[in-house]
Amino acid sequence: MRCLAAVLALSLVGYPLLITPSTTVLVLGAAAMMLCVLGILVATPVLVGGMVLALAEYTLAPSLAGGPPRLASAVLLGVVLVLLLETADFGRRAHHAAIGPGVLLAQIRSWAVFGALAGAGALVAIAAASVASASLRLPWAPAVAAAGAAAALVAVALALSAGRVPPRD
Amino acid sequence: MTTRLTPLALSVVTVGAWGLVLGVLSGRAELVVVVLPLLLGLLRIGRTGSSGDWSLARAVSAARVLEGERVTVTVTLSARAPVPLLELFEPLPPILRLVAGHNRGLFSVARGQSVEWRYEVECVRRGRVSLGTVHARLWDRAGLESGETSVRVPWQLRVYPRPLPLRRLPGPRRMQAFVGDYVAPSIGEGLEPGDIRAFVPGDRVRHVNWRASLRFRSLFVTQYHQERNADVVLMLDTLTEAGEPPATTLDVSIRAAAALATAYLARKDRVGLIEYCGPFRWVRPNSGRAHHERLFEALLRADVMFSYVTQEVALVPRRVLPPQALVIAISPLLDPRFEKALVDLAARGFDLAVLSPSAIPLVRRAMRPSASADLACRLWGLERRTRADALHRLGITIVDWDPAEPLEAVLAGLTRSRRRGVAR
Repeated sequence: MRCLAAVLALSLVGYPLLITPSTTVLVLGAAAMMLCVLGILVATPVLVGGMVLALAEYTLAPSLAGGPPRLASAVLLGVVLVLLLETADFGRRAHHAAIGPGVLLAQIRSWAVFGALAGAGALVAIAAASVASASLRLPWAPAVAAAGAAAALVAVALALSAGRVPPRD
Repeated sequence: MTTRLTPLALSVVTVGAWGLVLGVLSGRAELVVVVLPLLLGLLRIGRTGSSGDWSLARAVSAARVLEGERVTVTVTLSARAPVPLLELFEPLPPILRLVAGHNRGLFSVARGQSVEWRYEVECVRRGRVSLGTVHARLWDRAGLESGETSVRVPWQLRVYPRPLPLRRLPGPRRMQAFVGDYVAPSIGEGLEPGDIRAFVPGDRVRHVNWRASLRFRSLFVTQYHQERNADVVLMLDTLTEAGEPPATTLDVSIRAAAALATAYLARKDRVGLIEYCGPFRWVRPNSGRAHHERLFEALLRADVMFSYVTQEVALVPRRVLPPQALVIAISPLLDPRFEKALVDLAARGFDLAVLSPSAIPLVRRAMRPSASADLACRLWGLERRTRADALHRLGITIVDWDPAEPLEAVLAGLTRSRRRGVAR
């Protein structure tokens, strides 16, 4: 499972290099890859650090290259981000543990289904946003900033919610 | 079961928020699109159905084992409702060491199915193991939320001390009235020929010594020594211990006591046990298989119990410490209270022998080697020798036992010392 996570990390870090093979992107990518590998082996927060660097690298690469937005590949990259987090976390849980029959297969099937659904959902959302932007002109940057602020609020709420009621048994 | 969000959920939100920030700062739509699958992933929270409908059963390959033996633990997980991902963890006490498999496992079970989980442990030290709690964590497939619970699955395992092999034992000086394996000085029915005397009416013809009768031209009969058993009382010092488990002075003392008890009981002797831990705990001398079990149960629970109480040997009842008994004291001689008890026993005329497992090699094994440790151990050795000499001068037979050496070789030294009447 850690190998799968490493492959996902490599694709996450390598894709911006395909867009713009510059030294800055390479240095950022190398640092991100190092943190990602360390995070896969050691702890999720380190992996998150690596992913933060990888996102910075991904921001830098199209900015340097210019050109129209590559939305389909961005959807793929988003799915890779989620799967990387989940596979690394599962790999750490499964390390030094007995794995029951069918666990790995069921897990891989679950990730495949999620990847397909999330990708399709994101593509639908992109299409909807394109149609909406063609019909009405919204100030997108403040809207996205507001969404970001909302996400941050949700994160704080998630962090503060220690338990969930009602109990499930 | 209380369900909580895992740190992974927070990580997903963090990465998503960072993507949005970068998107706003750079003004590129790709970053916002990258975040979309992350946000869609969070929608899975709370969608996992309740999966509390499962049960655990445990089977252990043996309920009573000796130190060093292995036991296979089989845990069966049965589910009446689908369980997406269940993590089970069974903490092991220090007595048990995992040798095969894992004591943590991840399982996924469909409705009505069951899964078996096996692992093997080695029992490294004597004691009673009463594990019973399996910790369970139910995950959703994404790992974004989990619920924890503990399940009681009773399990009792008794790990008895492993008796060391013994063939030769220190013989007692005094016998008891019951039939046993020792040749008593008294004459009577037995197998070992003793004296020859003139025939008197009433003697059995088969006891006539024909060779002597022909030589002296009158009838002589052979007399035989009686074969008797003995009372052996093992006195165990549980006042203190040194070293690192599973090789503390108490551990090796208990192994020696188990070996001696097994060997003496095999000789049809009556064996008793006195645990000297401030207040006394004892098992009356007796023989037989049931008594062997009783002694091993007592050795199983023998442990160091700190106490300021010092009881006199005189308080031990005669039926527990018979005056004719051979007393084998097993002590690392770390506590002066035990030495005082030994002196008291010797003064009362008991047939006393002391087997002293040395704490020094056991402590050295647990320490990092250094010059100061070497010096300290040498000084300790000298102090120990001084103490042993002081007891020796009082007529007490002491053998020093390095637990790395076989017990039988050390007991041979004890037998020689007792034969010579000179303590070492």
